[in-house]
Amino acid sequence: MLGSTIINHRQHVGLQKLSALAEITRSSLGPNKNYKFIQDDTTGESTLVCSCFRILESLELTCSVGQVVYETIETHHRVYNTGSGCLLFLAGAWSHAALECLHRGISVRHIISAMSEGMEICLNVCRQCSISIKRREVSELCPFNVSTVKDSHAHQQLTPRASERPFNLGPQKKLKLSRHFRESESPSISTIHASQLCSYEPFFPDIAHIAETLSHGCTDAMNLVVKASQMQSECNQQDIAFDVTKVVTCVLPGLVEEQATVLPGCVVLVPAEQASVAHHLKEQHLKVALIHGDLAATYRHLGYNRPKGIQSVSDRLDLSRLSKEDTWMEKVVTLLLNLEVNVILVSGVASEKVIECCWRRNILVVEKVKASILKAFAVSTGAIPVTYATQLSKHCVGTGLKVSIWRDLSNNDRKRGTAVNITTDGLNCGLVTVILTSSVHAKLQTLEDQFWACAYRLHWALKDKALLPGAGVTEMVCIQHLQNEAEHDIRNPTESNGVSSQQNKPRTPANPYRDVVLTLMADGLKDYICTVMVNTGVFSKVGARAAVIQHLQDYHGTVGDVAAKFSQLFLHTDTCYNATPTSVESSETPAIKTYDNLCVKQEVWRKALDLVFLVLQTDAEVITGVDRKTNGAQEDLMFL
Amino acid sequence: MSRVVKKSPSVCTDLPLDNTDICNKLSLLKQLLISCFGPAGRLKQIHNNIGGRVISTSTSSVLLSALSSSQPFINLIRTSVLNHVSRFNDCGLFTAILCLTLLEQAKQSGLRRNVSIIVNKHLLGLCTSYLQGQNCGCKVKLDFCSSQYFITLAFSVISSKPACVLTEPEALHISKLAVQAFLLTVPCNNTGVARLGKTLTVCVEGHPVLDSAVFPGLLVDMPDIFFLNAENLHGRSLCTVLFSASLAGDLCELGDGNIELHGDADTDSQILDQLLELGKQVVQDGVNLFVCQKVIHPVLQQYLRGQSVTVIERLGISLMESLSQLAGAQPVATLHTRIPPKAYGKVKELTIKQFGSKTMLHIHPSGESAICTMILCHRNDTMLSELKVVCQKTEHVLRLTLREPCALMGGGCTETHLAAYIRNKCIKEVIESASLLGCSQTEYLLGAEGFCRSLESVAAALDHKCGNSLTDLTHAHYWTLPADVVEDHMENSLGVCGCGLVESCPSKKWTYLNTKYPEFSPAPVSKGTHLQVRVLDSFTSKLSGLQVAVETANLALDVQYIIQDTN
Repeated sequence: MLGSTIINHRQHVGLQKLSALAEITRSSLGPNKNYKFIQDDTTGESTLVCSCFRILESLELTCSVGQVVYETIETHHRVYNTGSGCLLFLAGAWSHAALECLHRGISVRHIISAMSEGMEICLNVCRQCSISIKRREVSELCPFNVSTVKDSHAHQQLTPRASERPFNLGPQKKLKLSRHFRESESPSISTIHASQLCSYEPFFPDIAHIAETLSHGCTDAMNLVVKASQMQSECNQQDIAFDVTKVVTCVLPGLVEEQATVLPGCVVLVPAEQASVAHHLKEQHLKVALIHGDLAATYRHLGYNRPKGIQSVSDRLDLSRLSKEDTWMEKVVTLLLNLEVNVILVSGVASEKVIECCWRRNILVVEKVKASILKAFAVSTGAIPVTYATQLSKHCVGTGLKVSIWRDLSNNDRKRGTAVNITTDGLNCGLVTVILTSSVHAKLQTLEDQFWACAYRLHWALKDKALLPGAGVTEMVCIQHLQNEAEHDIRNPTESNGVSSQQNKPRTPANPYRDVVLTLMADGLKDYICTVMVNTGVFSKVGARAAVIQHLQDYHGTVGDVAAKFSQLFLHTDTCYNATPTSVESSETPAIKTYDNLCVKQEVWRKALDLVFLVLQTDAEVITGVDRKTNGAQEDLMFL
Repeated sequence: MSRVVKKSPSVCTDLPLDNTDICNKLSLLKQLLISCFGPAGRLKQIHNNIGGRVISTSTSSVLLSALSSSQPFINLIRTSVLNHVSRFNDCGLFTAILCLTLLEQAKQSGLRRNVSIIVNKHLLGLCTSYLQGQNCGCKVKLDFCSSQYFITLAFSVISSKPACVLTEPEALHISKLAVQAFLLTVPCNNTGVARLGKTLTVCVEGHPVLDSAVFPGLLVDMPDIFFLNAENLHGRSLCTVLFSASLAGDLCELGDGNIELHGDADTDSQILDQLLELGKQVVQDGVNLFVCQKVIHPVLQQYLRGQSVTVIERLGISLMESLSQLAGAQPVATLHTRIPPKAYGKVKELTIKQFGSKTMLHIHPSGESAICTMILCHRNDTMLSELKVVCQKTEHVLRLTLREPCALMGGGCTETHLAAYIRNKCIKEVIESASLLGCSQTEYLLGAEGFCRSLESVAAALDHKCGNSLTDLTHAHYWTLPADVVEDHMENSLGVCGCGLVESCPSKKWTYLNTKYPEFSPAPVSKGTHLQVRVLDSFTSKLSGLQVAVETANLALDVQYIIQDTN
């Protein structure tokens, strides 16, 4: 074993590594992302990646800081599906700030306390800047539909409701969103309210508008998300506008990207023989059995230990006897026929023999169905999943399944098979499948990632019931607040620190370096905004920086304005990206077009700072299991 | 022809403490541990050299288990401290640092080893009796009528580990949860033998710390929540049966031998029949909750669910014990006999709780059960695993207060206070003590000085920012002076002492630690102070830590030879 001290107090190697690592994410910030090729020199394989998470995933990070970073990003991505790039970038930017602090001789304790305060300031800004989806819906959200919203009828309808709301916080907000869905979707509810509202298209696209502002450049992916949410709400019983857990993706290479679409139920790829069964079964009400496990004679449930050392003996020779598998097969097929099962969804694999046997009797066997899909069909058809086919009984079989052929992809290649769409009539319980297509195979992963990022952005927005001004506006306000705090310290050096003075224990001595740390933290955010601006391709590095600084100076001290005006600066870039020829001066452009997620941003910032703190406070690595003889040459190691 | 491999002779190290290599390693270990000490301590990233998981920690239990050395002398000390940690879960760094400093001081003093040993032993006796005595000036009596001290105690433990990366409100939240969990595990009905319950910890990664919570009863991960019939869960008392035997339907271990089986015999279906028979009995006996530590055959599960019995499989051994305590049920270890009625237990109700992506089944106890579950959330795995260790440590520390309902003033104040007390006591009683121990008075005082300095350097180890460590000349508490403060404004910039109980005032006098100061008898803090103690240390584990440190140091001083078999 050995301990190696890595810190030379003013040149923290860990922080340097962190900030170097963050550089890789520079080009994947903002709506205009660049692809990267990652090539493995030993195997010659290469991957095309676009998001920060995928880059990290493909890199083999061996240093301990790298692993801590990857672990954080991976956890974040698993839960939030968006914001990883921002996380890593800010971790880098703030570790740079921490390094700078160390250079100036500021102690770790002071850095941590001031940065924590800075974080509090930023999180507060988020809370203050956040815009309730509710409010936006009525007045702000539909700037494109201003005329309709301003219509007197709509106002009469909406104002009283809006005024009720403050007393009923919570699910009310969500409720309203979806009520519009239903009202606009089902004119059959012929109350006055409904019919009046129905005539106003704008209420339906509420989700669509929220989604649009959250697309962050992935318009196509977001359109699919909106389609999925519309499809879900069509058959929605509960008041949930968008249930991300009931969305699955199906990736089909070889088709052009425009063919991407959303279908109700699930889509599976089956080989040609199965496709013929599907053809036979289409436009019928089908019975379904769900198997949780493999469909094979030899399959045993998880946790079953096969006995060892058992020999089979027999007292007579019976050649005509059927093998165990055949007996099983006969039993299963008879059972399936008795129960009139048409479709079997299997979470594991099915043996060749079973598939063939079922095919002859026009029973469609679908293998490798995801557990979530199985669950959704269990709910919507009333089927009960079983482990063994022999367990099936009348009440385990679900009804009302429908099968249709979505597209024949086989052409000459029989293996690629046919895409079969499995749905239930009536209630689908919200399960929708998004089909992502691309003729470039390497792009599929990125398309899928983008779709999920968009889907989760919408999901979090609906969960938060609030949005944050995007396109760098929130960051701008944060920078301003941080700088104001810092200046306050410089002006009143003796006074104990600014806003936080109430929170601090009365006797804690003031942090003399607070202004420096806060300013450096603000610089990190500035770097972030500038990078996003540069990535849009409109600004040069210098130009972006100048624009940001100029803007901050122009609106010095007026916090409210910085947001609105800055967004116009940014909108310019945004519209350029969208290739709509709008000039900067056009003042009639809608106020803010891009929004961010509240909870995601807050979590990302906190996690980025956590990483910095973890690394900043680390002064040594302890490496276990090192052989002194082989590693003795490394001079920076000390052996214990 | 067999080859003769010549055995290499054993390596013998004479007087290990005089060996430069060993001394260097000891001082490296000391540096490493000192840098981890306290709330401002630095973290260590522990990983293996082939890219395994990285742990960021400053906790002695994690750190010391990773720090194995090629040198048996180092391992002797390490093992001794680890042993203390495994018993008390706290004060590991204190113990290790004190032990290593005592060795260093003994070497510096130039005293004969046996003199150092007897003086240390004598002084340890003085410390122990002072700390346990009535008029100990650095002890706080804990009052079970108020949770304030307990929260402070928990907060001190939790905030001493920076690798948890908690903000103050977060640390306070976790402290309160720890106290709440502790109180839930203390049984209320004191008929017969009281048995402390258990806190189970469930970690949820990726969610805010403030989402952490404590629930009475058990929370069991339910990946197959889908099978739960919500109607069966609510509002009624459930008859419960627990199986520790596997109900997977396989043959039990056969050993090495072979079994010959008739070709027609189907063991699987025979066992399954037996399982279903068992199922029938349970249903007849009115069981509503069927739990198995291991796997349950899917057919049996299907049968039970069909009879509206809630089924939980693969509970695992750790939860099994708690659940049997909670439900008052005897786990059934076989499926070959009828289940005796007294094996059945009872739970109040089942509810479903959602934590992030985890869906959990909450098993409510039907009465007082002293079992609770703590859900710990944190933003990433590294910090979460440290938080888990720290919470277990806190639980242990809180439990120790039941044995000895007091706490020591934390933040270094106990160490400096104790040092001042020992100094004073030694000088007053030098003649008697020296003759009692059979050493000269000079030797005795030299040994005592080394002992006191060791205590003080543990306090000074709390300061990592090269500030100055001070002690006041009335209560002998511990103070730090920021490095950049001019001495004239000392009383303004000192604020309060380490534990927060003494306030600086112009009349107060301070001295730098490890400088000579006139000895005095440290006064206890007057009861009338308006200040609240901010940092508390566990009494029991610190006392044990002190004993382990001195005894280990004495043992190490006593080692004459190290003989290593290198074959």
